Amino acid sequence: MVTADLLFSLVPALPLVGAVLIASARRYLSGTVAGMLATALMVGAFVLTAVAFSTFDPSTGGHTVRVFDWIQITGMDIPFAFRYDALALTMMLLVTGVGSLIHLYSIGYMHNDARASTFFAQLNLFSFAMLLLVMGSNLLITFIGWEGVGLCSYLLIGFWYNVPDYNYAARKAFVMNRIGDVGMVLAMVLLFQQFGTLEYSVILEQADGFSANAPILIAATLMLFVGATGKSAQIPLFTWLPDAMAGPTPVSALIHAATMVTAGIYLVVRCSGLFELVPLTQDVILVIGTATALLAASIGLFQNDIKKVLAYSTVSQLGYMFAALGMGAYSAAMFHVIMHAFFKALLFLGAGSVIHALGGEQDIRKMGGLKGSIKITYVTFLIGTCAIAGLPLLSGFFSKDLILAFAYQRSPVVYAVLVFGALLTTFYMFRLLFLVFFGSYRGKAHPHESPLSMTVPLMVLAALSVVGGVINLPHLFGGHEALKHFLATASSGISNETLHLSVTTEWILMGSTVLLVTSTIAYAYGRFARKAELDGEPETMPLFKRLLAERWRIDPLYAALFERPFGWMSTKLHTVGESRIMIPLTNGVGGAALRIGRVVRRVQTGNASFHLLAMVVGIIAFLFITLLST
Amino acid sequence: MIVAILLLIPFLAATFMVVATPTRQARVVALASTLMTLVFTGWLCFAYQGDPVIAVDSDWVPAWGLRLVMGYDGIGLLMILLTALVFPFIIGAGFGERLQHPSLVNALLLYTQAFLLGVFTAQNALLFYIFYELALLPVFFLLLYWGGERRRGITVRFFMYTLLGGLSLLFGILYCMVQEGGFNGDFSALAALDLPLDTQIWLFWVLFLAFAIKLPIFPFHGWQPDTYSMAPVQGTMVLAAVMLKMGLYGILRLVFPIVPEGAAYWQNTVIILSLIGAIYGGVIAFRQWDLKRLIAYSSLSHVGLLCAGLFAWNGYAVTGSLYQAFAHAIMVVGLLYLTGALRERVGSTEMGAMGGLKARTPRLAALFLLVMVNAIALPFTQGFIGEWLMFAGIWQLNGWMAFGAVTTIVLGAIYMLYAYQRVMLGEDKWQLEMDDATLRDHLVLVPLIAVTFILGVYPAPILNLINGPVQQLITAIPMLP
Repeated sequence: MVTADLLFSLVPALPLVGAVLIASARRYLSGTVAGMLATALMVGAFVLTAVAFSTFDPSTGGHTVRVFDWIQITGMDIPFAFRYDALALTMMLLVTGVGSLIHLYSIGYMHNDARASTFFAQLNLFSFAMLLLVMGSNLLITFIGWEGVGLCSYLLIGFWYNVPDYNYAARKAFVMNRIGDVGMVLAMVLLFQQFGTLEYSVILEQADGFSANAPILIAATLMLFVGATGKSAQIPLFTWLPDAMAGPTPVSALIHAATMVTAGIYLVVRCSGLFELVPLTQDVILVIGTATALLAASIGLFQNDIKKVLAYSTVSQLGYMFAALGMGAYSAAMFHVIMHAFFKALLFLGAGSVIHALGGEQDIRKMGGLKGSIKITYVTFLIGTCAIAGLPLLSGFFSKDLILAFAYQRSPVVYAVLVFGALLTTFYMFRLLFLVFFGSYRGKAHPHESPLSMTVPLMVLAALSVVGGVINLPHLFGGHEALKHFLATASSGISNETLHLSVTTEWILMGSTVLLVTSTIAYAYGRFARKAELDGEPETMPLFKRLLAERWRIDPLYAALFERPFGWMSTKLHTVGESRIMIPLTNGVGGAALRIGRVVRRVQTGNASFHLLAMVVGIIAFLFITLLST
Repeated sequence: MIVAILLLIPFLAATFMVVATPTRQARVVALASTLMTLVFTGWLCFAYQGDPVIAVDSDWVPAWGLRLVMGYDGIGLLMILLTALVFPFIIGAGFGERLQHPSLVNALLLYTQAFLLGVFTAQNALLFYIFYELALLPVFFLLLYWGGERRRGITVRFFMYTLLGGLSLLFGILYCMVQEGGFNGDFSALAALDLPLDTQIWLFWVLFLAFAIKLPIFPFHGWQPDTYSMAPVQGTMVLAAVMLKMGLYGILRLVFPIVPEGAAYWQNTVIILSLIGAIYGGVIAFRQWDLKRLIAYSSLSHVGLLCAGLFAWNGYAVTGSLYQAFAHAIMVVGLLYLTGALRERVGSTEMGAMGGLKARTPRLAALFLLVMVNAIALPFTQGFIGEWLMFAGIWQLNGWMAFGAVTTIVLGAIYMLYAYQRVMLGEDKWQLEMDDATLRDHLVLVPLIAVTFILGVYPAPILNLINGPVQQLITAIPMLP
C-alpha cells in the first residue's frame, strides 16, 4: 500500500481507537480528559484527511484502496475497501473538520455530566462509523457505517437514559431508520444480483449499458431512495428527527444536522450515475424533497422549543438538498450539504450555548433580551441565522441560490414552492432570533456566557458560515465553481449537470429572492423584536395555526396507523394465535401423550438419579452390544 | 480415533460424575472437560485440510450390512465447533444457578454434548438417528427435574412432540434403507437413491417433520415457548443454541440429499411457512413480558429465517444460514446468560420486575447492549454476515420472499430495543441493591462478545470452512431447473 493510501485508510482508525480506549477506561477518565483525548483524535483524523487531500490528484478520478477481504465466498467478493476520491475526501473533511469543532465544544458543554466520558466514547464511535459510510468503496461498507451511525444516534439520543421519553425517541429514531434500511438492503441484494458486485465504480460503469427507466434500475434507485428517506428524515420517515433533539445539543449539531442526516444525499450523489438513468426516480425525489422542504418549514413557524425549530429547519433544508438531487443538480446539493453543515452546526451549538446559559431552558417564550448578556453567542447566532436565510454573500446565499436557479430552470411550480419555503425559513429563523436575543428577558435564570472551549467553535463556524461560499463561487461573482469541478471527477452525475440561464435572469432571480427575504425579516422584526408576540397553548389558536403548531398532527396519525395496530397485533397474535389455537392444539397432542404416560408411569419412581442410572445403563448396554457385534 | 476422542471426553467426564458424584467440584470438572473438547476441536479445525475426514469406518451389525461410519466435512466441523464452543459457557452459566445435585446436572449436560457431537460426526443415517434421539434424553431429564412451574405437563408435551417427529424420521430412514437394497444407511448410499417423484413428495414430510419440530418452524412450534421459558437456563441454552442446529444439520444431511425433488416440490411451502414464522415470532416478541419468552419468540423468528435461507438452496443462502446458525448460538447463549444474571439480581425474569437497572449495573447494561447488537444483526457482528448472505440468496429465488425476510430487521429492532429499555433504561424503579457485572459475568460474556465481533469483522475462517462443502452440495443437488 502506498503511503498516501495508508494515511487515508488510517483516518477512521483514529476515532475508533478513541472510542475503544475511552469506553474501556471510562471509569478512570474524567470527562474533560476523555473529551480532550477524543478531540485530539478527531483533529488528528482531520489532519490526516487534509494530508490525503493535499496529495490527491483529482484528475485521476480516484481509486480503490483494498484493506482486507471481508465477505468472500464462491460468487461473492465483498472487500473491506475504501474509495479514495473527491467525493469521499470532501465528506471526510466535513466530518472530521466540523466533527473536531463539535468535540471541542462538547468538552465545555458536558463538563458537569457524570457520564461525559461515555459520551465522548460514543461521539468518537459515531465519527468512525460516519467515516466508514463516506469512505466505503462498495455499498456494504457504506452500510456498515450507515447502521453504525444509526446505533450511535440511538445511544446518544437516549444518552440521559433515565427519562422514558428520551428512550422512546431513541427507539423511534432507530426503528424508523431500520424501515428505510429495508429499502437499502433490498437495493443492495438487487444490485448484487444484477451486477455481481457492490463496488460503486463497477456498478456505475456497467449501468451505462442499461436503457433509461429500465425496470431493474427503477426498482434499485427507488429502494435506495427509501433508505435515504429514513436516514435523511424525508417524508414519510421524518418524524424521528425532531424527537431526536432529546439528545445532548452537540449530538444534535453533529449527528442530526451536520453529518449523519446528510448520508442519504451522499448516497444519491455517490450513485448519481444510476439515478441519472432513471428520470422517474428523479421526479419522485424532486417531489418528496420539495414537499418535505415546505412541510417542515411550515411546522417550524410556530414551535416554541429552540431545538425543535432548528430540527424542523434541518428537515426542511434536507428537503432542499433532495429537491436539488431530483433536478440532477448534484453539486448544488453537495454544496448545500457543506454550507448547511457550517451554519446549522453553528446554530445548534449556539442554541446549546443559550440553553447552557439559562441552565437548561429550551422554551423561547422564557428567553428574550439575551444579546446583552451572551454577546459571542448572540453575534455568532445572528451570523448563522443570516446565513440560513440566504442574505447576500453569506454561505447559505450561494448554495440556496444555486438550488433555486436549478429549480427555476426545471419548473416554475417547484421554484415558487422552494422560494416560498425559503421565506418561511427566514420568518421562523428570525422569529427565533428575535424572541431569544431581542426585547427583554422573560425568564428567571442568570444568563452567563459559555467557556472558551464552547465559544471558539462558535466563532470558527461563524467565520466558515460567512466565507464558506468561496469554495464554490459562481461565475457571476468571479469564481469558477471549484467544488463542482472537484466533485465532478468522482461523480458522473455532476459532470452532466448544466445550468443554462442567462446572466440577466440569474441577477433578476437573485435580486427578487433577496428582496423578498429582507422584507420577511422586516416583517418578523415588527412582530417579534419590537414587541415579543408570544404564542399561548395550541388550544387557544385559530384552526390553521393550531394545526401547524401541532405539527399537522402527523405523530398522532402515525401512532394510530402504525404503532397502536402493531401493539394490538402483537398482543392478539399471542392471546389468540398462541393461547387459543397453538396451545390447545399442542395440548391435544399432550393429552394423548399423557394417556400413554400413565402406562409408562408404573416404571417411574420419580427419582432423578434412578432415571439417570437407567439411562447410563442403557447407553452402556447399547455401546456394548454395538461393540460385540463388530 | 479422533472422533472417538471427541465423543469420549464429555462422555467419560459425565460418567465419572454419575459414579463419583462430586458436589463442589462438579462444575469445575465439567468445565475442564468442555474446555478440553474445545481445545481438541480447535486442533481439528486447525488440522482440517478441506477434504472430508472419515475417522471411523468399521463393521457394525454385519448381519444387516450396517457399518459404523463417522467423520466430518467442513459443515460438520462447523457444527462440532459450535457445540464445542458454546458448552463451556453453558457449564459456566451453571456457576450462578443454584440447582440441586450439580453433579447430575453437569453429567446430563456433558452427555448431551457427547451425543450432539455424535450427531454431527455420524455418517450413517441410523447412527445419526440414534445419537439424535439420545441427545434428547438428558435434556428431557433436565427439564423434568430441574424445570420451573408446570414442568411435568410441558416436558411431556415437548417429549411427545419430538417423539412424534422422531418416529416419523425413523420410519423414513428405515424406508430409505430398505429401498436402497443393501440396508447400509450410509449418507453416501442414501444420497445415491433415486426415488420416484411421487415417493419423494410424501417422503419429504416424513423426513422433514422431525426437523421442522426440532427447529421449530411455524406451525410446529407449539412446544417451544413454554419449554424455553420453563426450562432451567442451561437447558434452554442447550435447546436453543445447539439442539436447534441439529434440525438444520439434519435437513442438510437427510432431506436434501435423499429427496431433492421432494424438497424442490415443497420448497416454496417451506420457505413461506418459515417466513410466516419469522414475522409471527418477531411480532409476538414485542409484547412479551418475560425475558425468556421473548427469547423464545425471537428464536422462532431467527430460526424461520435460517430455514428459509436453507431452503432457498443456493450458495449464498445456505452459507448464510449456516453462518447465522453459528451466530445465533453465540447470541442466544449470551442473551440467556444475561437472563440468568438478571434473575440472580432481581429474582425474576419478568421485565416488570426490572427497569432502570443501568443506573445500578452500568457494566452489565453495556454487555447486554453488545450482545443485543448481534441479535439485531448490526454490521461488524456475526449476525450481519449471516443475514446479508441469506437475504442475497433468498432474493435470487424470489423478490417478495426476500422482502418478507428483510422486514425481520425492523421487527428485531422493535422488540430487542424495547426489551433493553424495559430492563435497563428509565428510572431506577425498584431501588434494589445489587452488584454490577461480576468477574464471572465478564468471563462468560466478554469471550462471547469477542467472538461475535471478530467473526463479524473477519468472517473468512468460518466462510472458508463451509464454502467448499456448501458449493459441492449445491452442485450435487441442483434443485431448480
